[in-house]
Amino acid sequence: MTVYLDNNATTMPAPEVREAMLPFLGDMYSNASSFHSFGTAVREAVEQARSRVAALIRARPEEVYFTSGGTESDNWAIKGAMARHGSGALLVTSAVEHPAVLEIASASGSLGFESVLVPVDSGGNADIEAYRRALEREPALVSMMMANNETGVIFPVGELADLAHQAGALFHTDAVQAVGKVPVDLEARTGIDLLSISGHKLHAPKGIGALFVRRGVDLEPFMHGGHQERGLRSGTYNSPGIVGLGMAAELAASLPEEAHSRLLELRTRMEIGILERCPGSAIVARESDRLPNTLTAIFSGVESESTLMMLDMEGVCASSGSACSTGSKDPSHVLKAMGIGSNLSNSAIRFSLSRYTTADEVDLALDVLERAIAKLRRISPYV
Amino acid sequence: MWKYSEKLMDHFMNPRNVGEIEDADGHSEVGSPQCGDAMTLDLLVDDDENIEDVRFRTFGCAAAIASASALTEMVKGEKIGQALDIRNRQIADYLGGMPPEKFHCSVMGREALTSAVADYMRKRDELERAARELLASPPDDIPDALRAARITRAHSKHVWVASEADLPEPDLEWLGLRLSGLTGRRVEARRDET
Ligand SMILES: Cc1ncc(COP(=O)(O)O)c(C=O)c1O
Ligand code: FES
Repeated sequence: MTVYLDNNATTMPAPEVREAMLPFLGDMYSNASSFHSFGTAVREAVEQARSRVAALIRARPEEVYFTSGGTESDNWAIKGAMARHGSGALLVTSAVEHPAVLEIASASGSLGFESVLVPVDSGGNADIEAYRRALEREPALVSMMMANNETGVIFPVGELADLAHQAGALFHTDAVQAVGKVPVDLEARTGIDLLSISGHKLHAPKGIGALFVRRGVDLEPFMHGGHQERGLRSGTYNSPGIVGLGMAAELAASLPEEAHSRLLELRTRMEIGILERCPGSAIVARESDRLPNTLTAIFSGVESESTLMMLDMEGVCASSGSACSTGSKDPSHVLKAMGIGSNLSNSAIRFSLSRYTTADEVDLALDVLERAIAKLRRISPYV
Repeated sequence: MWKYSEKLMDHFMNPRNVGEIEDADGHSEVGSPQCGDAMTLDLLVDDDENIEDVRFRTFGCAAAIASASALTEMVKGEKIGQALDIRNRQIADYLGGMPPEKFHCSVMGREALTSAVADYMRKRDELERAARELLASPPDDIPDALRAARITRAHSKHVWVASEADLPEPDLEWLGLRLSGLTGRRVEARRDET
């Protein structure tokens, strides 16, 4: 039996999503750009999907561009916006972004612009004073994620975007982990100019995503080619993926009120279980505003890869932010930015739930976890 | 996820020789402060310098735990010198293979063993030196029988004393106490019967 608690890595495609996609992997195979009515039928499905994605984030359909996923959306938004400025233009982003953003900032030198990283506090919240100071340098673009993939911490992007606008900058947000989990309202949050979505984080398949580009925002095309997506993002429409994303958006938009509180209850159940049953454990950013599905726990004295291994033996899937493979361990940059030392961050495990997670699964995971931590603590030199 | 052999997984799930040894002959704490991997290792060395018992604790990945466990099994009963000759390759072989990226994980175990053996040798040599110096320039209150005695060899916890004459037990106790005072550890003097 598998208990899947790694939904921030990827989610199960919803059964309705799979059903909706199947025709487009079969009879409905035509090219959405073709003139014939066979093509037009597929085009209609693509446009319906676009409307559904737009509805989920309260945008206009023509502001939604389909991409291959979150990484592409981030790359397009940032490189596409920065390309409209001369060399030496400034990108402001945070120290806890996903590599899809952070690596662009690292490469900014060779891409012809500059970048500055806004630090976070020990709760994972953006340092607003540092943010204001960065804005004084008149950046061309600000990119601050909506919700962090490791800690679940939510940035107040509405306010951050307004501040960016006052400073004359465009504002992008990587909302890959937020869309489908918390309400996103681009009609209310008018400061957000660009927003990245990834299908596989909200029960659509991998390899499909979207970029919201607010009307009037000028972006360099990312893919040059056959003029799809109004010439901004060429490439034959990935109609099965697009239809899947549309259905996933529809499902997320029509979730019952209590879906959010149910998820929160399960997450709390898991957190309390961890704190009560695993000595030396702590929840990261517990007091911060967080996604309802995400928790990162630190099990002091117990190395995370060993924990993951023991969990895996019993069918529990979770993940850790650090990668240790080639001799030097890379502790999670997110936890590091929060001031968590490498010893502790190498003991961190992330559990990310979904609307398909059950209380029984949480309880089973807790049983397995309690045994694993107890066992590893007996081997540990630190306790 | 790494592909681990059954034997490696067994040593990870059921590590052998975990813990510490009270009154160990050799003790070590190694690790990399920057990545947090850490290990302690305790050795019990018998009179012939064979590893009589060994215990470890590890903070590290499954491969690190399994290779430490394997190493302790491999060195038990071995002469300390031979134990130091074990290579990472042998640990990997003992475990039925290891992903090459994980080879480095066994390094920490070997470091811990090397430094525990070094700790034993340091104590042994320190004791031997203290004993030889004591007999070379004997204090006024030294029992007469010890004046003609000589140190033949040492262990971290005791020295062997030989003499043509009789070595009464209380005299050996006197020497043991004196050496305990000098080394700051509880040590004994024994008659070398060979
Ligand atoms: C915050 C965030 N941004 C971007 C991405 C990348 O998305 P994709 O896998 O669709 O390229 C991820 C996925 O891990 C993410 O969590
Ligand atoms: S101890 Fe670092 S990968 Fe094994």
